[in-house]
Amino acid sequence: MNDAMVVGVSKRFGEVHALHQIDLQIKSGEFVALLGPSGCGKTTLLRLLAGFESPSSGEIWLNHERVADKNQLKPPEQRRIGMVFQSFALWPHLTVYENVAFPLRHQQNVPEVYKNNPGARVAEMLEMVGLGGMEKRYPSQLSGGQKQRVALARAIVFNPTLLLMDEPLSSLDAELRIQMRKEIQHIHRELGTSIVYVTHDQSEALAMADKIVVMRGGRVEQAGTPHEIYYSPQSPFVAKFVGRANFVKGQWADPHTFLLERDGQASLPLRVSQDFAPFHADQVLPVRPDQIKLHPWNEGADGVRGRVQHVQFQGRELLYSIQIGKEEWEVASDIGTSFSYGDQVAVEILV
Amino acid sequence: MAAAPKLKEAATWLVLVPVAFFFVYPLLKLLLLSVKTDEGIGWGTFAEMLADARTWTAVVNSLSAAGISTLISLAIGVSLAWLCAYTDIRWKGAIHVCALLPLLIPSYVMTLAWTQMAGPAGVLNRAASWLVGTPVELWNVYGLDGIIVVMGLSHYPLVYMLTLSVLYRIPKELEWAARSSGAHSRTVFWQVTLPLALPGIAGGGLLAFISGLDNFGIPAFLGIPEGIAVLSTLIYEQVIGFGPSAFARASVLSILLGMIALAGTGLQWLLLRKSRVDQTSAEDRSVRRPLGKRKSWVEAAVWLFLVVTSFLPLLSMASTAFIKAYGLPFISENLTLKHFLFVLRDHAGTREAISNSLMLASLAGALCLVVGTLFAYWRIQRPSPLGKAMEGAVSLPYALPGMVIGLAMILTWIEPIPGWQPGVYGTVWLILIAYVTRFLILQVKSSTVSIMQVGREVEEAARISGGRFWTRWSRILLPLYAPGMLTGLFLVFLTAFTELTISSLLWSSGAQTIGVVIFGFEQAGSTTLSTALSTMIVAVILLLLAAGGLWKRYWQRRVEG
Repeated sequence: MNDAMVVGVSKRFGEVHALHQIDLQIKSGEFVALLGPSGCGKTTLLRLLAGFESPSSGEIWLNHERVADKNQLKPPEQRRIGMVFQSFALWPHLTVYENVAFPLRHQQNVPEVYKNNPGARVAEMLEMVGLGGMEKRYPSQLSGGQKQRVALARAIVFNPTLLLMDEPLSSLDAELRIQMRKEIQHIHRELGTSIVYVTHDQSEALAMADKIVVMRGGRVEQAGTPHEIYYSPQSPFVAKFVGRANFVKGQWADPHTFLLERDGQASLPLRVSQDFAPFHADQVLPVRPDQIKLHPWNEGADGVRGRVQHVQFQGRELLYSIQIGKEEWEVASDIGTSFSYGDQVAVEILV
Repeated sequence: MAAAPKLKEAATWLVLVPVAFFFVYPLLKLLLLSVKTDEGIGWGTFAEMLADARTWTAVVNSLSAAGISTLISLAIGVSLAWLCAYTDIRWKGAIHVCALLPLLIPSYVMTLAWTQMAGPAGVLNRAASWLVGTPVELWNVYGLDGIIVVMGLSHYPLVYMLTLSVLYRIPKELEWAARSSGAHSRTVFWQVTLPLALPGIAGGGLLAFISGLDNFGIPAFLGIPEGIAVLSTLIYEQVIGFGPSAFARASVLSILLGMIALAGTGLQWLLLRKSRVDQTSAEDRSVRRPLGKRKSWVEAAVWLFLVVTSFLPLLSMASTAFIKAYGLPFISENLTLKHFLFVLRDHAGTREAISNSLMLASLAGALCLVVGTLFAYWRIQRPSPLGKAMEGAVSLPYALPGMVIGLAMILTWIEPIPGWQPGVYGTVWLILIAYVTRFLILQVKSSTVSIMQVGREVEEAARISGGRFWTRWSRILLPLYAPGMLTGLFLVFLTAFTELTISSLLWSSGAQTIGVVIFGFEQAGSTTLSTALSTMIVAVILLLLAAGGLWKRYWQRRVEG
């Protein structure tokens, strides 16, 4: 069983509190994404798991062994963890083969089969990441995407207990990022290793993770499945950070009825099936751009009236900015609709 | 499991105590001696020295030699840097190497070369006399004017290097933006390029000024025979002259010289901090100003300059070394190898000096390599105000003039701790201690560059892949830090191998260095011997340079692709 646990961990750097009382469980085979803006503590948490930092308080457990608390630290080289760095961190003076074979020679508890025939194992790994036959190249002879694959192969070659990835795709171009997502998913399926993946890109987290941990200011803001995070954000921050959200103004009559404010008209009651308790105090309803539908406005109709302020063509969808009273809402609409600047529209909210 | 905090604390003390003892304590000793009088603490020696007209003459000579030579260095260094960084002049690599030569060839050797070219009986004056038909003296390099010219030519590489690096880092777009706003290319140079490059230029100028104050070889060869003293030669004469209060008087002069030098260093540090060109921004080495039709003229001028200031003096020196007796014309029946054979084979002092210098340079290089690299590593891994202060302390002996350090070393190591006389005074070991103290910062700086370039993640990748301490250092870190470490080793070795200033104070019989022997030959008037030994030194330096260049090329092909 390969699992990891973070129990009540805090980390201070001098006067700066990087992490406050973090609890986190990574189950065997789980793909956990740590998501948050820069400075939220996600990278610090990853470095604590790796053993590059020691916690100021709290404990870190790997495979039912306590590897760190405030007094003791099991160093990274003894933890059997694979890690992919943001900068790839390939050793430029070693060939691709030597880079990938390094953990086989130096890690602990490497299966005998791999140890006895490292050549075959390295070849197998390179094949898996699509770099078969590139053993003799030096990192300087590889493209960015190829370097990333070598880094990945090096991290998984010895069957790590845990695989850590620190913004591994952030230095690749957009097209390559999408492709590498699939490959990382593929590798996760093949190996079944637990993965902790740090990113500030919400779409990466939503696309790949089993569980997303949204962090902010050194605290866990919300943890849950991608579906939960996207459709039931538990705080305005999560709603804004993961996917876009409009905070629609109105009043909560009761936990399942939201009274939508309208200019010069009586408020419009909306049925809300989900629990949006964290938003009750602010008297707002979070609405995703794709949860709003636009219709042509008919004079005298009973609905919410808006005016098109901007239209952005996005290929498979249109992104509208709709002026409603003093507010501006973002609306993602399929390509079938066609409104242009200045049009009056009826706005329908589907939550 | 490791108890990390205690280890960190121990490491800090392990650095702090030696740094304080080796780098700060000697300077305190020097300060203390200058204010020690028969009645205890007092300003007696200061008052006596400041009332002495010779002190003020030396101060004025030092300042004017360093100051005016800096202007020469600035003019040459900035022009050459601009030509190499901005224009399409050809053979930039060769120009670069030639421009750096004056830094690698010790200044006293270059001075000796100049005396053979432009001395009273030098090539220049003899050629002029032959042309005119009667004896004439075009220019005599001995004297303050000679000191200024040779100093300017020795130190322009400092201006050149700093200016070059800042020019490469000025974003091209800034100049394009000015051009597209309607500015003429001359306006762009004065309004954009020059202001942006100014911190680098001024930093290089100050470095040249400090080096001018520090320099002993040039005024010793060109000034002492003419009775012209600067502060460094005056300190030397005080210490060598002995007498009851010689050390106290020399220490007062050292403090004067040290304060001027530190003021310069402080100013330079402020300027570099204010630099508006980002030091980490990428270098842009593309051509920005094609020279067009003027190109061949400019190239001819540059090469004429390099030949006249570097090669002609060295060739003049070499020609003297091959002449049977000083003053004979350079024709085949007057040529001989006997001076080379004499210094290599028959002159015991020279043989001893060569082996001393080799030993000193190797040991100083090896010690600095290990200590300097570990210090740089510690400093980068644990950035702290304390580490910064310690780096400052380590760089002090290099920022201060060599004479000052030489004196501080004598004062400290006769009896480092009351009651303990290690007996290193008067042996080569004191010279070794002095070299390591003075040159350690060269290694620290060079290693720092490599360690910063390699970055933290590369080591972390080795740790997380299971690499233990020795594996990490032997397989990953050392091979990657090698370029910076070897650059530092090269610098320390070369500087120590040909060092003169410190060893001129610390030598004793049996503990001479190559620099001291050449200086001794020159003072005794054995010009053919001093030139022979100097010529061999230059040959060795050029060979080392070529070897270093080849290795660097191999490395770049391997790692940078």
